[in-house]
Amino acid sequence: MSKAIPEPVTRLIEAFASLPGVGPKTASRLTFYLLRAPDHLSADLSAALHDLKSKTRLCSVCYNITGDDQDPCAICADTHRDSSVVMVVEEPLDVLAIERTASYNGKYHVLHGAISPVDGIGPDDLRIKELVARVTAGGIVEIIIATNPSLEGDTTALYIQRELQNKGVKITRLARGLPVGGDLEYVDSVTLMRALQGRNEI
Amino acid sequence: MQIEHLSLTNFRNYARLEMPLPSAPLVLCGDNAQGKTSLLEAVYYLATSKSPYTTSDRQLIHWRTEDHPMPHARLVAEMVSDGRFHRLETTILLNGAGGGGRFKKVVKHNGVEKRVMDVAGLLKVVFFMPQDLALVHGAPSDRRHFMNVTLSQVDRDYLAALDKYERLIPQRNALLKRIAERRASPNELSLWDEQIAVAGAVIIAARQRFLRELEVAAQRTHHQLTGDKETLSLQYQPSFTPTADGGQQLSFGVIGLDLHREIDADTIAPQFAARLEAERMESIHRGVTLSGPHRDELRLMINQRDAGLYGSRGQARTAVMSLKLAELAWMTERSGDPPVLLLDEVVAELDASRRAFLLDRIDGGVQTLLTTTELDIFTPSFLERAAVWHVADGQISTSATP
Repeated sequence: MSKAIPEPVTRLIEAFASLPGVGPKTASRLTFYLLRAPDHLSADLSAALHDLKSKTRLCSVCYNITGDDQDPCAICADTHRDSSVVMVVEEPLDVLAIERTASYNGKYHVLHGAISPVDGIGPDDLRIKELVARVTAGGIVEIIIATNPSLEGDTTALYIQRELQNKGVKITRLARGLPVGGDLEYVDSVTLMRALQGRNEI
Repeated sequence: MQIEHLSLTNFRNYARLEMPLPSAPLVLCGDNAQGKTSLLEAVYYLATSKSPYTTSDRQLIHWRTEDHPMPHARLVAEMVSDGRFHRLETTILLNGAGGGGRFKKVVKHNGVEKRVMDVAGLLKVVFFMPQDLALVHGAPSDRRHFMNVTLSQVDRDYLAALDKYERLIPQRNALLKRIAERRASPNELSLWDEQIAVAGAVIIAARQRFLRELEVAAQRTHHQLTGDKETLSLQYQPSFTPTADGGQQLSFGVIGLDLHREIDADTIAPQFAARLEAERMESIHRGVTLSGPHRDELRLMINQRDAGLYGSRGQARTAVMSLKLAELAWMTERSGDPPVLLLDEVVAELDASRRAFLLDRIDGGVQTLLTTTELDIFTPSFLERAAVWHVADGQISTSATP
């Protein structure tokens, strides 16, 4: 970085550039935009950044992200939702994806990752023990495993299934299959095979 | 199958190449480092999404595109297989400038983007290069690679099992190391072992069947090549030996798996799982998975003696040639459509009688691309029915003399 640019500017550029999906050019553009923008914009942004870590926490029930003044989280506290069904997802973003469908009315459990020894992540690094405790505590009828259909996601699903065996809950897995609006002849054979295995009676 | 047109953009030293391919044997003649091999490499890459020579896709992109805002190489084959037209396209893209970027491979079939696995086997090739002549004496991994490349082009289930297996083993090995460091529990191993046993069993069963079928064709060719003096046989030595009834095999020394007693994957899987469990302590101690298809061995036997240990260099070369021609015959039989044969400099490496034998087998039916630095190694009768193209500095001239 050139010495013609003062240190506070380069510091912010470098900070932006360290974020996923942001390259050096975008980082510079954002920085100089903030430099010219009204003062309150950068003040709001810095306050928001500060609060992001200091005013959030993990929900003590489902381990999704929640406000520090709201535990359990809004979903866990919602009495209109069915607490006998719990969907297990890898990341908080997966909760958002499911919520966007507006067709799920149960609760969640966020693992914060998937088992991957190569990345140094074992079952103890995930919120699996907490899930088992939740199930043992009772009141849950069905666990829907919604981990990613990857090697690591499948292995995590297998592990959870074993941990919850003999706990008297029904364990289901999200179906894999055909994309909506897709053309059957262009679907790859693995997806097609799984769709066939998971076919429904109509 | 028949490639009718090959188009290369920024691939190796070809900035741009549009080339209709003849159905006659095509001899690519030129000095070294002019781009002969790159043409065969392009065809191989389209078929397998891998280069036979390098593991780094960066090397495949033309050096001149380094300053290009989006360095990329594109390979397109227009081909006819089973009477149907296919357009197979692979683009290698470098994401982000500089050498540190990551590569992205985009594969299209008839204009529709596909996963690499879904186009596997659409274009099939048999590649024969001078390095292959060392197959008999070479490392076991070379012989496993031979089995993998051939089987993956014909058997989708094999390719899927191999792909999964090759991702599972590093996970299990990482877990073994974590267990040794007491950062994970040995109980976690069963998660991976179960999946490894299922995928591995598919691989072992497919290899057994493949080698049984390949041996028939290889033996026939080898008898012809040696005037019935030598009998070539294949010995499959899986890293553990499954039995048809799940019991212990009683044997003295290594004799390999009986190719004629077929064992299906469902019988192998529990035996493989039991083996993984039995070796658990030692695996943790050594930090690697000790048994499985990644440690299988294939031995070539001549008159019941191991050619890798006791065979002469000449015997080994003859055996490899038999094996390669058997590969061609096997792929043709299994898929009903002969693959494209790629012979890289290999003709020059053979003595006169083996050369004549090989060239005799190159005629209609199998599309063949050969590279050579000299034309006089070919017989006049072969050159008469072949097309000879000259390659110089990434340019091809189809006239008889450059």
